[in-house]
Amino acid sequence: MDSPKHKLCEESYFNSFYLEHIQAANNFAFYKCGDKAVSLDFVQDAFVKIWENCSKIDLAKAKTYLFTTVNNMFLNAVRHEKVVMNYAKDVPYMDKTDLSPEYLMEEDEFKKKLLLAISDLKEEQREVFLLNRMEDKKYREIAELLDISQKTVEKRMSAALKILREKVEELKI
Amino acid sequence: MNKEHDILKWFEGELSTEEIKERYPNEDFSVFEKVGFYTKQIDVPKVDSQKALADFNAKKLVKHEPKIIPLNFKTIMKVAAILVVMLTSSYFVFFNNVKSYSTEIAQTEIFNLPDNSEVVLNAQSKLTYNKKLWKKERMLDLDGEAFFKVTKGKKFTVKTSAGTIQVLGTHFNVKERANYFEVQCYEGSVRVTHGSDRTILKPGKTFRVINGKISPVKDFKAENPSWLTKESTFDDVPLWQIINELEIQYDVAVDAKNIDTSVRFSGSFTHNNINIALQSVTIPLKLSYKINGKKVELYNYATH
Repeated sequence: MDSPKHKLCEESYFNSFYLEHIQAANNFAFYKCGDKAVSLDFVQDAFVKIWENCSKIDLAKAKTYLFTTVNNMFLNAVRHEKVVMNYAKDVPYMDKTDLSPEYLMEEDEFKKKLLLAISDLKEEQREVFLLNRMEDKKYREIAELLDISQKTVEKRMSAALKILREKVEELKI
Repeated sequence: MNKEHDILKWFEGELSTEEIKERYPNEDFSVFEKVGFYTKQIDVPKVDSQKALADFNAKKLVKHEPKIIPLNFKTIMKVAAILVVMLTSSYFVFFNNVKSYSTEIAQTEIFNLPDNSEVVLNAQSKLTYNKKLWKKERMLDLDGEAFFKVTKGKKFTVKTSAGTIQVLGTHFNVKERANYFEVQCYEGSVRVTHGSDRTILKPGKTFRVINGKISPVKDFKAENPSWLTKESTFDDVPLWQIINELEIQYDVAVDAKNIDTSVRFSGSFTHNNINIALQSVTIPLKLSYKINGKKVELYNYATH
């Protein structure tokens, strides 16, 4: 009987696993470093690692393995100096009805400060915050992905929110 | 604390915006609302999954090939050769106990052996002995001429190609040249072994072999060989041997093809002046000589 463990070693299965998770893994890497090219490189390397160890990895844990591998790669790599993030183009403002120049300027200012504040977050805070915000992930899911406790995730999230609030409110005054 | 937890829940989607506003009616959540709203608008690079997979498969295959590092035998041989050279040279440096002394033409050397025996090495001679074995056995090899003042003790052996000399503690001179072997005893007694012949020499006695034949020699009275005082003395020795000694002491080539070199000569020559030396040899034998650089021609007085 085929052990499910080794299913990962089958090319076709692995490819579907790859296609299923490449975007999410890349997002995660991007949240961490804020650099498109670097994040894809790391994710590809992480997939290579999984492929090479396909027989040793539990299928159920493969996804976690992928994320923790990317995570570890960042730990081993030189810390990223500058996080560069941007907003998508042509996205609506929060209040779609208010289009007064004053409001738009205020919102633009807010967005700018928010981006800066997110960039300045600690890596582990940013990744938790963005995984939650961008992908609507539950804290439990994030904890599973990163192989850390849910409590840790909540702490990081809480700290991230506190810092962000302080920073964006600062500018208001 | 509770509020913080509720905010977390709100961000997780467990609590709706309405619910949290209801719970904390005096709180302004607009900043969090905005943070939540605009964060979602951050641009995340879209991955072209299929292209990434293709790239990945190329990468995977490259990475998967195990690296083969060939054993470089050349390097191993180099290392081995260096090791062999080092080991052998260190063997010779640290374990080679052969001590050697040698002299060139017109050169003498005085030195002491480990037992304080004194050796004077005449020109163009070589003496070797093994330092390690010296304590067990006083033995050395001689090629040429040397005078020994042996400290009293165990048997002292001098080996030459023509014969072996054994003493306990004496003064003696050994001369071993081409076709010529001579041992002279100046003090004590010396046993000379030449082939099957064994002779005990007392002071003033000489053991001489010319062309493989033992020839009798008259007693002498000197206490030291004359060459120690820069003079070579001969007693009834064939002329070719004197010529040989001249060549060694003066670094010249003697041409004697026009004379009879088997005639016997008794006398001596100095090591300090070639003209006086040649005169002291040629005049008694009624010969003449010509010096031409490093060449000396001997000829009969009458024929010129």
